[in-house]
Amino acid sequence: MSARQMKLGLFLWATGHHIAAWRHPDAHVTAGIDIDHYIQLARTAEAAKFDMVFCEDAAGLREANVNIASQTSRSIGFEPISLLSALAARTERIGLVSTASTSYNEPYGLARAFASLDNLSGGRAGWNLVTSASPIEAANFGATGLRPHADRYARAREFATVVTGLWNRRGGGHDGESFSVRDPLDVPPSPQGAPVMVQAGASDVGKDLAARTADVVFSAAQTFEEAKAFYDDLKGRLAAYGRQPDDVKIMPGVAPVVAATKAEAQAKYDALQELIPDDVGVALLSSYLSISDLGRYPIDGPLPELPESEGMKSRQALVIEQARRDGLSIRELARYFAGARGHWRVVGTAEEIADELQARFEGGGADGFNVMPSWFPGELDAFATLVVPELQRRGLFRKDYEGRTLREHLGLKRPV
Amino acid sequence: MHLAISLNIAATNGQDVLGFGQISAFVRKAEAAGVDMVVISDSSANDEPSTSPFEATTLVAGLATVTDRIGLVASASTLAHQPYNLARRFASLDIISHGRTGWNATTAQNPREAANFSRTEGFSDDDFSRRAREFINIVRLLWVGWEHDALLFDKASGRFHDPDRMHPANFTGEFFSVRGPLNIARSPQDRPLLVMSGLAETELDFASHRADVVLLDKREASAARAVRDEIKRKAHEAGRDPMTVEVLITADARQERDGGSLEGLCLSSGCDGIVLTVQPCPDALEDLAERMLPELKQLGFGQLGFGKAQPGKTLRDRLESGRDSRR
Repeated sequence: MSARQMKLGLFLWATGHHIAAWRHPDAHVTAGIDIDHYIQLARTAEAAKFDMVFCEDAAGLREANVNIASQTSRSIGFEPISLLSALAARTERIGLVSTASTSYNEPYGLARAFASLDNLSGGRAGWNLVTSASPIEAANFGATGLRPHADRYARAREFATVVTGLWNRRGGGHDGESFSVRDPLDVPPSPQGAPVMVQAGASDVGKDLAARTADVVFSAAQTFEEAKAFYDDLKGRLAAYGRQPDDVKIMPGVAPVVAATKAEAQAKYDALQELIPDDVGVALLSSYLSISDLGRYPIDGPLPELPESEGMKSRQALVIEQARRDGLSIRELARYFAGARGHWRVVGTAEEIADELQARFEGGGADGFNVMPSWFPGELDAFATLVVPELQRRGLFRKDYEGRTLREHLGLKRPV
Repeated sequence: MHLAISLNIAATNGQDVLGFGQISAFVRKAEAAGVDMVVISDSSANDEPSTSPFEATTLVAGLATVTDRIGLVASASTLAHQPYNLARRFASLDIISHGRTGWNATTAQNPREAANFSRTEGFSDDDFSRRAREFINIVRLLWVGWEHDALLFDKASGRFHDPDRMHPANFTGEFFSVRGPLNIARSPQDRPLLVMSGLAETELDFASHRADVVLLDKREASAARAVRDEIKRKAHEAGRDPMTVEVLITADARQERDGGSLEGLCLSSGCDGIVLTVQPCPDALEDLAERMLPELKQLGFGQLGFGKAQPGKTLRDRLESGRDSRR
């Protein structure tokens, strides 16, 4: 194997990544209470030779507005470490990666749980480090509220240092600012040495922490330019920590909608968009644009004149400008956002989607992709049966696993 | 007579460790022999580090997918977790196992854990036990935050759940403040079984109010009977049907020659059944599975008293139907 091949992750998320996924006639609406559904998804991804499945997580509800929350399927689901441990017993090769928070765990306990998952799976575990920015989560762990960004990252850096030390058999004897850990880890290493470290922070401190400790970085990039800028930025930070560009795999999210023809794919996507309740779409758009309440304005009218808001980022400002230029109504703009969740959406045939992925992969914008099917299981099945074979035909993706561990799939060195 | 098996997978240096295949093969044999539940723990009693590759809750998740009737109880300490996280872990395990899981809440403070979980000073015994009680109460509250019928799944109207049937915990106590609710649906047993073990005299009140199963560490029938009577009496005083707290006496598989002696122990202690501790080594597991379990089955141990285990019934349902048949 000489040619570079892309890595693929299956991003698991409730009934699907589209906000209205659960309302699709064929969507598995009871996904959040059905373990067999998840076993099936993991096996589908494994049969398609995906590198990993990835569970996003939050230690709390996602949405504070109970009315909005009750119109989505995201308030209930499995706790990911137990979910992935169950999947470990029912799969053979695929990597099993989960989010866990450095704000609401202790490093010894987290290191132990992931090491156990790593052993249960024969070396297929990975940990996606998050610092948890939601005040809803904070309220489940005390009355003091969310810690400031800088404090969360200081704690996360110490947390990551302790966890990697424990996994790499140098642990114990730590007495730091936030944590004290006396002993080495009492769980032996798995066949891959230590679980894979994943991160997704997009802030400057987040990218530095990733450059220092991550093996895999998940990102969100709508355009090729954004993807390339992020890729170059992150890879450029590695040398400062004595690491090579290839030591970190960058895998942006992609939300594909695939069908036999472009028109069919577009029709599938449009049908999903129709299922977004207006108040859900508008609430999500309001929160994305950091605007308190767009619901006061006529939904078929244009975006109102808005004051420059403190939290607004340049990309959001561009979106507003674009919406004005294209004459989009609030509803149209809301649906656009609710559907894509800030990730890159590609609608088309298998060839067209493969072209897009290939261009970003070969153009230096990605080492692989975290695939975000709109709804489960149908859109995963479509990607696995249509797009994966096309990528394989082009030599861009493996036809079989090269190894047994997640590190081997990803072409990562064993930790030293 | 209930039959539980207590398997502490912790192994110390030099000992062989059990792999997942060995553990799951044993648990499946126990299931076939009608054993009601396996209690998995993962920390050594002394201060020595374990060399087992597994942690109990993750191991139980794996076992849940390769068994279908036996109860699966994992030990987890109140020091090593946060109540919100632990409530999630077990609610999730309960859904994964279709209602067969339980939490063995260890109430003794382990100095090794304090030293590794940023609690260098540890807690006074009194603080530790008040904290543990508060922790357990929060977890129990979180487990029932979603009503049974809260999930509507109504694709046509666009209402996934009924927000009026989802209740935050809004708990503020001496040690914890937890808003809730869980982001996990109501689990099949409503609450995973609460198993309590290693109880000090001062914990009996709490256990008789809250526990579904108490594992006694007394091994003498007369001493066990005294504690069993006290737990049942306290449960009655608390307004609970004393039968709903099942008290099991501990026996060591290494020291029991045959099933008859276990039957004698169970009957003379007045306990509801036996928890048999087995050493985490292949020979001990094989001896138990091949020699002792078939004999215990013959004597009427396991299969949840007289109610035969049935798929589709939760562990809690089966405990209840076992009680009904004894009434």
